[in-house]
Amino acid sequence: MAKGQVKVRRERSVPVIMRVLAIVSLVLLLAPVVVVILAGLNSGDHLTFPPDGLSLRWVVAFFRSGAFLPAYLFSLLLALCTMFFSTILGTMIALVLARNEFPGKQMARAFFMAPLMLPGIVLGLALYLFYLSSGLGLTRTMPGLVIGHVLVTCPYVIGTVNASLVGFDKSYEEAARSLGAGPLKTFRIITLPIISPGIIAGSVFSFIVSFGQFDVSLFLTPPDYNPLPIALYSSLRYTFEPTAAAAGIFAIFLVVVSMLITARLTNLRKLANVNFS
Amino acid sequence: MLAAPGTIFFIVFFVVPLASLFLLSLDKPSLGNASVQWMFDFRNFERFFGRAIYYEAALRSAGLAALVSLIALILGYPLAFLIAKTTNVRRNTTLMILVLSAMQLDMVIRLFGLMVLMGDVGLINGFFRWSGLIGDQPLPLMYNFAGVVVGLVQFSLPFMVLSLVGVIQGINPALEEAARSLGATRSQTFWKVTIPMSMPGILAGLLLVFAISFSSYVVPTLMGGWTVVVLPIHIFQQVVELGKWQFGAAIAVVMFAISFIVMMIYQRAAVRASGGRV
Amino acid sequence: MNDNKKLIQTNKFQLGLNRRQLLKTGAAAGAVSMFNINHAWSKDVMWDGEPFDADGATIRINEWGGFWQEFMTSNVIEDFEKTYNCKVAYDSSFPWFPKYVASGPKDPAFHMGNWNLNEIIKLGKAGDYFLSTEELKANMPNAADCWDFAFGSGLGVTWGFGQYAHVWRTDLIDPAPKGFAAFWEDRFADKRATYITSNGLFMTFFMTAAAEFGSGPDDMEAGFEAMRAAMPMKISDFTGNMQTQVERGEVQIGVQWEGEIFLQMDKGIEVAPLTWEQKPILTQTHTVSRYSDPVEKKLALALVNAKLSPEFQTKAGEAFYLRPSNSKASLPERLKNKGVTNTAGALEGLWIPDWNWYLDNEDEIVETVNEIFAG
Repeated sequence: MAKGQVKVRRERSVPVIMRVLAIVSLVLLLAPVVVVILAGLNSGDHLTFPPDGLSLRWVVAFFRSGAFLPAYLFSLLLALCTMFFSTILGTMIALVLARNEFPGKQMARAFFMAPLMLPGIVLGLALYLFYLSSGLGLTRTMPGLVIGHVLVTCPYVIGTVNASLVGFDKSYEEAARSLGAGPLKTFRIITLPIISPGIIAGSVFSFIVSFGQFDVSLFLTPPDYNPLPIALYSSLRYTFEPTAAAAGIFAIFLVVVSMLITARLTNLRKLANVNFS
Repeated sequence: MLAAPGTIFFIVFFVVPLASLFLLSLDKPSLGNASVQWMFDFRNFERFFGRAIYYEAALRSAGLAALVSLIALILGYPLAFLIAKTTNVRRNTTLMILVLSAMQLDMVIRLFGLMVLMGDVGLINGFFRWSGLIGDQPLPLMYNFAGVVVGLVQFSLPFMVLSLVGVIQGINPALEEAARSLGATRSQTFWKVTIPMSMPGILAGLLLVFAISFSSYVVPTLMGGWTVVVLPIHIFQQVVELGKWQFGAAIAVVMFAISFIVMMIYQRAAVRASGGRV
Repeated sequence: MNDNKKLIQTNKFQLGLNRRQLLKTGAAAGAVSMFNINHAWSKDVMWDGEPFDADGATIRINEWGGFWQEFMTSNVIEDFEKTYNCKVAYDSSFPWFPKYVASGPKDPAFHMGNWNLNEIIKLGKAGDYFLSTEELKANMPNAADCWDFAFGSGLGVTWGFGQYAHVWRTDLIDPAPKGFAAFWEDRFADKRATYITSNGLFMTFFMTAAAEFGSGPDDMEAGFEAMRAAMPMKISDFTGNMQTQVERGEVQIGVQWEGEIFLQMDKGIEVAPLTWEQKPILTQTHTVSRYSDPVEKKLALALVNAKLSPEFQTKAGEAFYLRPSNSKASLPERLKNKGVTNTAGALEGLWIPDWNWYLDNEDEIVETVNEIFAG
């Protein structure tokens, strides 16, 4: 707001019933998280709630653990790779879908949404069989796993970038082009600022979805390197250990930190914009 | 063309593998055989629609997903509304971070958290017992349909919220003010102006949550106590336990068909809601 | 090499397997060898029992993950990789059956596996995947010292086992339950728990119930009746989940195996194992894939042999409360103080469930039981 302008109080008051429901939602979302955090900070020997006392011993155990820490790091790497490829591919597809009209556009949109409609285990299985029979050497390799993750995260990127392009007026781009700007410059100066919230949002989505992905990873995991959800599941089949809770805490910690960083770069609310139609 | 890499990627790694899987569903079932035989036999589908346990599972899957989407909308809209209308940056950032953190908790660990809350000797039952609202018999909140619904809602709520916030924020406040100045009450404004303007977000959120709940394997398995057998569980059983890839593939085809129909419904609704301009 | 291979007499260690069951397992082994196409490397004696340099080869194994993986890595695999100059690629993401099947027997997904008999026999029926027990015995020095039942499946060697028992909360149940049928008492309605149909413990539970309430472990109808009578009942996906439910008191009596129960007891939780005269056992069994390349096959044999050594078996008993299958292994204190012994006499009454019969009927059992569980 410019100096000297009168500040008009525009605070929209949210009706009580809405507030109440919103709080219910928040409680539902966060209650298990709180339980797990407390369980992971338990000073006792096994996974109990309420905790016997508070201690960092399981967090330390997590750092020392031969199974969970490597899995955590692998998931991190995997999610970053997925985020990178998914964002690039998804943005390109969204741009084309938003800018052009052509027959069958609805089908095309549905087509790119389709990976979300099938169970992850079906996709994983289908890809596994495909890798085996195609001889591309992708079976049980990290690239093979990344491909699976990119498939299930691309739709989110397409959705968010598409949302930021709603109402996008091609004439801006055309104007820039007619003034002599090359396609890359046009993209950088005109299009990119408009879609950047959508791109960032899509990246965040794809990171989170990839990091927590279990179903698709089940059949595509390379030996020796497990993503964290698979490592947790393999270990928790036999014993519920507090180290697992500590691993969960760290995953959340990671998200909180990266979100705080992102919040410096852009208003986080702008990230929440998805449109698939 | 710009879309070329993405399209090629999808065709190679999505269409082709799925097509092989769907062709597999047209083969006669044989233990341990996972390669396509090109038999074009429909007995897998006959079996699916013939035994009640399977087509009931299909109805259960779809019904569950629809129910979860609705509940997620009812719970998620207010939260999204709150985040969208809170102008204090620190507050709305905190809310966003809370929502995103909840998304990040691994499902198996979440099961433990939910068990602590909803189990027979969990916190909720403990509270009800302490306050005298129920007697000795605990409320069965887990390992049944209710448990799966709660688990799925908890899992997909962030997706719904995130689909809505941007749209609600984008609603031009002048429209709402205009309605008020014309004499509409807050409630009327909400239902006649705000909700219709939020439609793209509502529909996107419903579709996303439906997709997630419909295709979820982990939540019904861990929270359903084997009483809520949905299609992904059947697929897993057939392929992994029983080695019947062909039948499992047939179930996958049915799932795909149902999703496709839902997708079509969404597209129609989205076109109507946006008044024809998409 | 020690030529003095001691022969263990077959007759003494029948383990309560009646002739029909024994014969059936033998027939299964015979049926498997019928698949045995005259493949170049399927007939060689493959390993001489001595360490060798594998020149950096990689062998793929499937085995449980988490803490199990950490234990195996530090107690066996690290040394193994150094001694044999090789790399072990450890796949811990169960399920493995579809991966084996997708690749087929000739191009094995894994060269060596450690898993449960029900999965192994299922894979054996789907194709000629594994070396037979005769071939295993001929190639592993430590096999000579193992109890005979370890080779009962015909497809792999069991290196550790534990007894099926029901876990019950000693502080929540009074008077103490007795016998297998106690599980069905009214006082445990909705406080008893078993597993989903894909879990080996469920299968054991089903067959034991059929034997208890019907004419034998293959009396399917009796098994179904028992399942119906047991409802309402909680269904667990895996033993970790069962443990937590028992610890929290949501379940007061549950299907388990003694190792988990001993573990909980040593952690100070108020539980005890409930056993009865019939003693079905659950096993950890190793398989070696038949059509691996020669170097990987030799490595697989050497690795399995390492798991059969008495020293390792004692350590595994210490970590996982597993009973050893090597007659020479000494028991760790924590097993001894629960009354476990490693003698021929201790094996009396133990039996391995008839997985072949179960697998032949699995489709029907799974569909019917799922209908029962769904209410």
